[in-house]
Amino acid sequence: MIGYYLKRIVSALFTLFIIATLTFFMMRAIPGGPFTREKPLPPQIIAQLNAKYNLDDPVIVQYFNYMKGIATFDLGPSFKELGLTVNDLIRQGFPGSMKVGFVAVMFIILFGIPLGIISALKQNKAIDHVVMVMATIGVTVPSFVVATLYIYFISSRISWIPITGLSNPLAYIGPAIALSGYSLSYVARLTRSSMLEVLRQDYIRTARANGLSEFRVIGKHALKNAMIPVITYVGPMIAAILTGSFVVERIFSINGIGRYFVESVNNRDYTVIIGMTVFYSALYIVMVLLVDIGYSLIDPRIKLGRKSGD
Amino acid sequence: MAERVVTRMRNPDFELVESSKKMNKEQTRRSLTYWKDAWRRLKNNRLAMVGLAGVILIILFGVIGPWFSPYSYSDQDNRFTNIPPRFEIYAIADDGYVFLSSQYNLILVNEKGELLDKLVRTNMDAINKIYTYDYEGEEIEVDFKNRLLEDDGGVDIKVTYKNVTSIYPTKTVSNKTFPWGTDNLGRDMLTRIMFGARISLTVAFVATLVNLIIGVTYGAISGLEGGTADDIMMRSVDVINSIPLVLYVILLMVIIDDQGLWTIIITLGSVYWVGMARLVRGQVLGLKEQEYVLAARTIGVSKAKIISKHLIPNAMGPIIVSMTMMIPSAVFTEAFLSFIGLGVSAPMASWGTLANDALAGLSTYPYQLFAPSIAIALTMLSFNFLGDGLRSALDPRLRKG
Repeated sequence: MIGYYLKRIVSALFTLFIIATLTFFMMRAIPGGPFTREKPLPPQIIAQLNAKYNLDDPVIVQYFNYMKGIATFDLGPSFKELGLTVNDLIRQGFPGSMKVGFVAVMFIILFGIPLGIISALKQNKAIDHVVMVMATIGVTVPSFVVATLYIYFISSRISWIPITGLSNPLAYIGPAIALSGYSLSYVARLTRSSMLEVLRQDYIRTARANGLSEFRVIGKHALKNAMIPVITYVGPMIAAILTGSFVVERIFSINGIGRYFVESVNNRDYTVIIGMTVFYSALYIVMVLLVDIGYSLIDPRIKLGRKSGD
Repeated sequence: MAERVVTRMRNPDFELVESSKKMNKEQTRRSLTYWKDAWRRLKNNRLAMVGLAGVILIILFGVIGPWFSPYSYSDQDNRFTNIPPRFEIYAIADDGYVFLSSQYNLILVNEKGELLDKLVRTNMDAINKIYTYDYEGEEIEVDFKNRLLEDDGGVDIKVTYKNVTSIYPTKTVSNKTFPWGTDNLGRDMLTRIMFGARISLTVAFVATLVNLIIGVTYGAISGLEGGTADDIMMRSVDVINSIPLVLYVILLMVIIDDQGLWTIIITLGSVYWVGMARLVRGQVLGLKEQEYVLAARTIGVSKAKIISKHLIPNAMGPIIVSMTMMIPSAVFTEAFLSFIGLGVSAPMASWGTLANDALAGLSTYPYQLFAPSIAIALTMLSFNFLGDGLRSALDPRLRKG
């Protein structure tokens, strides 16, 4: 058991190492340095900047310094936002992203799963069709469309819903809807099909035959087993939602790391791009790892260390 | 002997059939191949057929549509900027109608809704909200105070021409010159959306093809080789899979730094093949134990031939299903990239770029956002329906007898 966790952690660290290395050399391969401006800087200033940021060192030395920085959670300075480090930017942006992501995940769990269950219990009734049509639309409409439609039809017409920023609790609704739309619909569909599958099993018939109340049959016997595939999807999804909010943060002007990332891409601020990529990847890998470990604790059918897909 | 027996049993009401005709009684039905069988089942799936029709229509829209359009995607007409698809017209003369755009340009139109010209603005009285325009030497006064009032009493603007004031629009007409309106440079939206379809679909199809080639080759080699090679190849896939790929697409786009069509295709094509590789490997692992592969091996067929002649054709079903699902997600990713400013460069535009351009003027010109958004959503919907249908048609486990 412990061996399995160790193995997973080591392989996660290894992945992270590869990501950092890859990103570092990819960034160094770009033509044009970080100080290339439309109006060229005097050579003396470039020389000084290069000296300040240790860009005169051989690439391999820079690489080791960078890796040392990552190991000590120091992602280096920003080249464009003078005086700020990548760590500062992450510290500024992360709370916003986390809050919106959290609300979105809550939306998915609180609406997606119950809708799927209702849909399965009322299979082929009107409500099932309505839910499934909505879910299909939700899977096919991109988040930026959802976000802009929300602004156009709702928040710009109702004066007490703020359009941008996160100034009051109502402001979370729009970003959370846009961010959760796809996953919410997907979870609803997944829950429905998994629930339908479980309801056909013999042990459900047995439970009913034994005279258990419908509430207990559904709540205790069916739901527990139907949730397993849903959890498998929800785990990586949480990570993806926390790391995939660039567009939504941009449209709703939320101070989040997604927005800083897009800005750094547009500014060609290389250290920030590398730093944020490593940070995002680390977050993603850690989340998937945590979910995997948690999952192996919940589902007794999973044999540790053996892959079900093979 | 037999002949005689038959003769004896002959009943005058019946007569013997010639032996050549006898053969016809045995019904010969051609056996259905895998693909014919799948097509038969696909045809019975109404939703899948809707999806197929949608896919064909969208492709035709993008491929043939621009030929019928009088405009090109880059044609600008600075007289007619930001003209919506429908507008209210006010009668001024016998056959003259005007329409006030959101930018307070007065556009001369005819009764059918064809745009004729932009009238020259001669005077702007910004305090009283009255603008004056020139029409054939006479003045037209447009008073738009009411538009800015909370309670306008049902009156939007007042148009005065030769001392006749119209308070209510004569009627609402559809834009005949630009059916889907124009953008902020006076370019025809319909044409731009059609060209956008070309770009979005080209990116999606070619990127999927690249993914397909890389993924199928990688997966088939990994599955067929087995052992250490398979281990190493699959560990690398695991590593790639644990990276948030959107970040890498963005990084690659920044590094290549040439915002052409091919950059996006190469980037998308080189990143999203992992799922396909896994799928093909899984299929190959099962297929390579079959007797026909063993037979091919014993007669010394090369591995490349075994893969291309035996393994891939037999794994085609799942590959096609996964491909139909890859196309919409490529459209999606491309739209997403264009939307954060990493798409094709102007004046070309994909649906994502069009949506991004429309974002700034959303509250005034919402139609500019709706058209590309609906196009994206319809494409996704059609491919998803078709993919679901193909999945149930090609998967033998879902067969219902």
